[in-house]
Amino acid sequence: MLNWTLRELLSAPQQLLASVAAVAGAFALVLFFEGIFAGESEQIVALIEKTEGDVWVMQKGVGNMHMATSFVADWKVGAVADVEGVEKATPILYLNSAIEAGGRSWFSFVVGLESDDPRAGPWSPAGGARMPPQGGAIVPDIFASDAGLALGDTVRIAGRDFAVAGFSSDTFSMANSITYVTMTDLADAMSSIGSVSYIMVDAAPGVAPDALAMRIMEQVEEVNALTRADFSARDYSIAVQMGLEIVWMMTLIGGVLAVLLTGFIVYSHISERERELAVMKALGFRNPAIYASNMLQALAIAALAFVLSVALMLAAVPLTEWLMPKVNLALTGSALVRTGATALVVSLIASAIPVRRVLSVDPATAFQR
Amino acid sequence: MIWLAWKNSILRPARSLLIILSVAAILAEILVLEGFLAGSYTQLRQAVLRRGGDVMVSQAGVRNFLATRSILPQRTRAAVEAIPGVAKTHPLAALSMIYEQGARRAPTIVIVYDDGGGPEVFLSGQAPANNGEIAIDLSLAEKFGLGVGDRLTLSDYDFTVSGITSGESALFTPFAFINFDTLIDFYFESDVAADIAAFPLLSFLAVDAAPGTDPEALARRITAEVADAQAVLPRTLAYNDEKLGRDLLGPILNLLLGLSYAIGATAIGMFTFAAVRSRRKSLGVLRALGFTARAIVTGVVAEAVAAAAAAIPLGILIAAGLAALIEWVAPVYLVPVLEPRTLLQTALVAVVLAILGALAPLRMLMRLDPATAFRE
Repeated sequence: MLNWTLRELLSAPQQLLASVAAVAGAFALVLFFEGIFAGESEQIVALIEKTEGDVWVMQKGVGNMHMATSFVADWKVGAVADVEGVEKATPILYLNSAIEAGGRSWFSFVVGLESDDPRAGPWSPAGGARMPPQGGAIVPDIFASDAGLALGDTVRIAGRDFAVAGFSSDTFSMANSITYVTMTDLADAMSSIGSVSYIMVDAAPGVAPDALAMRIMEQVEEVNALTRADFSARDYSIAVQMGLEIVWMMTLIGGVLAVLLTGFIVYSHISERERELAVMKALGFRNPAIYASNMLQALAIAALAFVLSVALMLAAVPLTEWLMPKVNLALTGSALVRTGATALVVSLIASAIPVRRVLSVDPATAFQR
Repeated sequence: MIWLAWKNSILRPARSLLIILSVAAILAEILVLEGFLAGSYTQLRQAVLRRGGDVMVSQAGVRNFLATRSILPQRTRAAVEAIPGVAKTHPLAALSMIYEQGARRAPTIVIVYDDGGGPEVFLSGQAPANNGEIAIDLSLAEKFGLGVGDRLTLSDYDFTVSGITSGESALFTPFAFINFDTLIDFYFESDVAADIAAFPLLSFLAVDAAPGTDPEALARRITAEVADAQAVLPRTLAYNDEKLGRDLLGPILNLLLGLSYAIGATAIGMFTFAAVRSRRKSLGVLRALGFTARAIVTGVVAEAVAAAAAAIPLGILIAAGLAALIEWVAPVYLVPVLEPRTLLQTALVAVVLAILGALAPLRMLMRLDPATAFRE
C-alpha cells in the first residue's frame, strides 16, 4: 500500500510540484503575514534592547514606550541617580510622531538626547554626526535612502524643520523608525519644559536590575521602574497583540485554501485510479487501508508544502532585507508551530474529501471491460 | 471545443466544484487583503472627517491628525473665533495611552471633545457627560469585556464607561472619548506629571464656517492671521493621514497581494495540469479526429476561464462572509470587500490568472499524440 501511495504521488511529478507549490504558497502567505508582524514587533523594541540601560524609569501608571506618553519631572533624574545601586541615570525625551521628508511621511519614535551623553543615542551610526546637533536630526539610513535625503536636507518633525545631520542603521521600521534630535529642540517642539519622558538607568556592578527597579519605585515618588527585559517584553507584547486577530484570520484563510488545494490533488489521484482501486478492493484491500493511503498522500503534500514554505520564508528574510529594506520580516518559532499544526490539520481534512469516491468504487469493475 | 469543455465540467461535478471552491477561496483571500487595505485607509480618513467642522486648525507645521502631536495655545481659540466668517469652534485634544487588563494591553487614542467632534454612533449608553466618564469603541469593549458602567483604568485614573461607540478606530487602535472637565480631572488626580504644560489641553479646533463663507478662503485667512496655527480643510488632513497609512501599509500589503496572485496562478496551473493529464486519452481522440493543438489549447483555456468566472461570485460571497467574521471578532478592523472598483479589478485578475494558469500544460497539449487515443 505504501509503495502504491508513493508511486501515485510520483506518477505525475509536474503536477505534484505544482500542487506542493500552490499549497506552500498558502502556508507562505500565513508565514509572511505573521513574519511581518513579528519583524515589526522586534524592531519596535530595538531602542530598548540596543541601548544599555538596566532599568527604565517612567511616569507612574505608564509601562510602555510604543504608543504611550510618559512625562517625569526633570528633578527626578537627580533623585533616581541618588538611589543606592544606580551608577548612572540618563534621561531622554520621547515623542511618537510622524516625520515628513521628500513628500513622504513615516511614523517615528523621536528621541530627544542630552548632547553630552551618547549612551541613549544611535548604536549603529551610518555616516555624518554621531549625535544630533542643535537644530539637527539623525535619521535612519533606510528612511534617508527612501526619501532621497542627504546631509543638510530638511525633515519635518512635530511641525518643525530639522537639518539632517547624520544617519543611523538598524533603526528603521515601518511602524516606528527612530529619529534622534537634541532634548532642547524636542522640548521646544513639544512645549515641554522641565520634563523628561524616560530615564535610562545603569545599575552599579553586582546590583540586580529587578531589585534596583523596586528600590527606585520605593524611593522616588510617582514613578514606575521596569527592568529592560520587562520593559521590552511589554512593548513587544503590545505590538504582537495588535496584530493577533488578523494573524489568526490569515491562518484560517491560508489553512482553508491549503485544505482545498490538497483535497483536490488527493481527489484527482483517486478519480484517476478508480480501476486500480477496484483491483485492490478485489484483492482484499479494505477501505481503511485506502483511506490511510489518502491520508499519507495528503500528509506528504502538506509536509512538503510546509517545508517549501519555510524554505521560501528563510530565503525571503535576507531577500526582503536586500530588495525591500523597509519591510522587517522575521520567522518566529510560534509561526512555525502554528503553520506546522495547520499543515497537519490540512492533511487530515483534505484526506477526507475523496472518502465518498473511495466508498463508491465497486470491486466488480476490476473484471469489467 | 468550448462546448466540450462545458460538458466535461458538468460530467465531473465534484472535481469542478473543488476547482471552483479553490479559486473562489484564493479570490476571497485577495479580496480580504484588498478590503483590509481599503478599510485601513477609510478608517484613517474617517478619524478626521467624523470630527466635523468646515475647517480644522492645528499647530503650525502639523499636517496630520493621528500619529502626531499638535499643541495649540489656549489663546488660539479666541483668536480664531475673532476672524470674520468663523461661526463656531469646537476644541479637540488627543492623547495616546495604553489600556491594560492583566497581561493584555491595547493602545488607545483618547479624544477629548467639548460640544463637537465626539462619536456619532452609540451602540449602547451615551456620550460622556459627567466627570470621570469615558465612551469607548466597540473594539476595545469587546476585546476586554467592558460594558456601560464598568470601570476602566488608564494611567492610574479610574474612568466609568458611559457608552459604547462604533467605527471609532484607526490603524489597529481603538478610540475613546472624554470631555474637557474629565481631562482636567485626569491630569490633576492621576499621577500624570508634575509638568501639566507638557500635556495637550488643546490639539485641534474644528471650525464651523458662517453661512456663505468659503471654507478654503477661511482656512487661508486663519493661517495668515493666527500665530502658531495653521488651518486646512478636514479632507486635506484626512488625505494626509491616509497617505501616512499608504506609506506604512502599502508596501507590506502589496507584497502579500503579489504572493496571493502567484498562488492563484500556480493553483489554476495545477488544476488545468491535472485536468489535461486525466483526459489525455479523450484529448488524443480529438486530435485523431482532426482537432488542431491550438483548438485544444483554446478549449482548456476556456475551461479555466469558465471555472474562474464561476468562482468570482462565490469568492465575493466567501470574502463578504470572512470580512463580516473579522469585523465581528475584531471590530477594530474595517474590511470593505464589496467596493465596485476592487471587485472589478479582482475579477479581471481572476481571468488573467486563469489564462496564465491554463497555459501551464501547454507543452503537454502541443505534443499530444493522436495515437494516444488508440493505446490502452
